[in-house]
Amino acid sequence: MTTLVKPRTLFIGLGLFCLLATWLSLALGPVSLPLLDTLRAALRLAGVPLPAEGLEQAELILGQIRLPRTLLGLAVGGVLALSGVAMQGLFRNPLADPGLVGVSSGAALGAAIAIVGGAAFGGLPDAWSPYLLSVCAFLGGLGVTALVYRLGRRNGQTHVAIMLLAGIALTALASSAVGLFTYLADDATLRTLTFWNLGSLNGASYARLWPLLLVTVAVALWLPRRAKALNALLLGESEASHLGIDVEGLKRELVLCTALGVGAAVAAAGMIGFVGLVVPHLVRLLAGPDHRVLLPASILAGASLLLFADLVARLALAPAELPIGIVTAFLGAPFFLYLLLRGRT
Amino acid sequence: MRLHPRLFALVAGLALSHAALATELPQRWVSAGGALSEWVSVLGAESKLVGVDTTSQHPESLKALPSIGYQRQLSAEGILSLRPQILVGTEEMGPPQVLEQIRKAGVPVEMFSAQADLSALQGNLQHLGKLLGREEQAATLFQTYQQQLEEQQGLVRQARAKQSSPGVLLLLGHAGGKPLIAGKDTAADWLLTLAGGHNLATHSGYKPFSVEALAGLNPEVLVFADRSLTGDAARQALMKENPILASTRAAKAGQIFELDPTLLVGGLGPRLPQALKQLASEFYPAAAVTP
Repeated sequence: MTTLVKPRTLFIGLGLFCLLATWLSLALGPVSLPLLDTLRAALRLAGVPLPAEGLEQAELILGQIRLPRTLLGLAVGGVLALSGVAMQGLFRNPLADPGLVGVSSGAALGAAIAIVGGAAFGGLPDAWSPYLLSVCAFLGGLGVTALVYRLGRRNGQTHVAIMLLAGIALTALASSAVGLFTYLADDATLRTLTFWNLGSLNGASYARLWPLLLVTVAVALWLPRRAKALNALLLGESEASHLGIDVEGLKRELVLCTALGVGAAVAAAGMIGFVGLVVPHLVRLLAGPDHRVLLPASILAGASLLLFADLVARLALAPAELPIGIVTAFLGAPFFLYLLLRGRT
Repeated sequence: MRLHPRLFALVAGLALSHAALATELPQRWVSAGGALSEWVSVLGAESKLVGVDTTSQHPESLKALPSIGYQRQLSAEGILSLRPQILVGTEEMGPPQVLEQIRKAGVPVEMFSAQADLSALQGNLQHLGKLLGREEQAATLFQTYQQQLEEQQGLVRQARAKQSSPGVLLLLGHAGGKPLIAGKDTAADWLLTLAGGHNLATHSGYKPFSVEALAGLNPEVLVFADRSLTGDAARQALMKENPILASTRAAKAGQIFELDPTLLVGGLGPRLPQALKQLASEFYPAAAVTP
C-alpha cells in the first residue's frame, strides 16, 4: 500500500489540525465572546498575569464550561480512536470496533443498572448519581470484556475467533438485559437512559475529567510502544510469534487497554459511536498501515474530529444541544458506506 | 487545581453583586418545565420568558421562544447565551453538573415540584408568586384552582349516586400505533380517578399491553392521548391500528374520548380543572355532571 503523506508531514498537519480544533472549541459556543476576551481569558487561565477586569464572564465560560469540555473531547476522541486501532490490529480486521469485545454493551448495561436501579431505590443524592453512573458504566465495560477474554482462552491460548463470537453473544445478552431495564424504567428514567446512549460532552467537570485523563495518558503512552508487535501481528499470529513477539501477552495488553480506555471514555461521556471505527481507517488511507504512525496519528485525528463533532452538537440547535453520538454516527456512517462501496468498482 | 482560588473569588464576587441586587426581581426568565411555563404565563409574566424547554408547549406563543432543548439534557452555555437572570424548572431538570455550572455563573436556579398533588402546587405557586412579585395574584389563583377541584369532587360524588364509576383505560400513543397504557403512580391515573373513573390498569407507570389483554379488560370508557394527531384523525388512527378495540364496551357505546397529552407531564398545570370537568362529564353522561 502506498502512502499519500509522509509521516512527518502527517504529524505536522494533524498537530495543527488538533490545535485548530482545540482553539475553535475554546472560542466558539452559544455565548458569543469577543475573540480578544477569549484570548486574554485563556492566557489568564494559563497563568499569565493580566488584569481581570471585564473578563469575569469570559473566564467563567472558558474555565468552567469550555475548557473541561474541550479536554474531555480530546481525551474521549483520542482514546476511542486508539482503541479502534488496537482492536483492528488484534482481530486483523479493518471492520473491528471497540464494541466487539463487549466493552460498550457492558458499559451500557452498567449505566442501565445505575440509572434504573438508582431510580428504583428512591433516587440517589444528586451529587452522587453522576459518579455512580460513571463507575457502574466503567465496571460494566470492564466486567463484560474480562468475560469475553476469559471465554476466548483455551489451553493457555487466546483464540481471537472464539473471542469475537463470544463478544457477539455477550453483546446480545447485555443488550437484552438493557432492554429489560428499559421495560422496567418509568418515563423519566427512560429518557435519561436514551440520552445517555447517545453520548454527550455536555456538563463536563474537572472532577469527572481526571480519571479519564489519567487512563487516556496511560493508554496513549503504552500502546505506541507495541507498534512493532502490532505490525508483526498483521502477518498472522504464528508468523508474529516466530518473529519473537509474545503474542499472548500482546493480546492481553490490547484487550486490557481497550477495556480501560473505552470504559473510561464511555463512563465520562456516554456512548459515542463510529469514532473508533472510522478514524483508524481515515489515518490508514492517508499514511498506510504502519502502526508506528497509525497509533499516534489516530490519537490526534480522533481528538480533533470529536471536537469538531462537538462543535456541531453545541452550535447546530443552540441554545439547545444535540447529543454528540448523533453527530458522529451521522458523519461516520456515510463515510463507512463509502469505504465499503469504494472497492466494488 | 490551579484554577480554584481565583474562581472562588470570582464566584464570591458574583454572588455578592447578586446579593446587592436581591431586592430587584429577575426580569429575564428561562423555564424548563411545561406546567411552570404555563403558570408564569397565567400570572401575566409571559413577556419575561426569554427561553423555554421542549415540554413548554402551552400557550401556543411559547413555541416562538428560543428552545433550550429537553429539560433533562440542558446545556449550560446554551442557557447562559440567553443572558437569563433566573432558571426555573422542576426536579426533573438536569443534568446536575449543568445546573451547577449555571449556578456558578451567577444565575439562580429555582427548583419546583413536579408532583401531581395540590400541596405541591400550592408551594410552587407561592414560590413563583414571590419570584414574580405577584404573591397575591398567585394565592388567589391557587384558591380558585382548589375550589374548582373541590366542586368537581362534589359533582362526581353526586353523579356516583346515580351511576357507578366506569372502568377506564387511558391510552397514550403516537398516531394510534402501539399505545402505552397508563397504570398506577402516573399523572394520568390521578386525573382519571379525580374525574370519577376507575382505572382498570393495575401496573405502575406506562406500559404496552397486548391486544388480548386490552379486550379482556373490556373498559367502559377509553381515553386516548395522542402525541401527533388530534380529534377525529387520532380516533380513526387508534381504531385502525388497534381493531380489537372495536369489540370493547367503550367502542360500542361510543365512549372514546380525547385528552391533551401535554396535561400529563410536569405536575399540575392551569388547564387541568377544565380537562377534569370535561372528562367527568364524559364519564357520567347520564348524571349530567355539568351544572
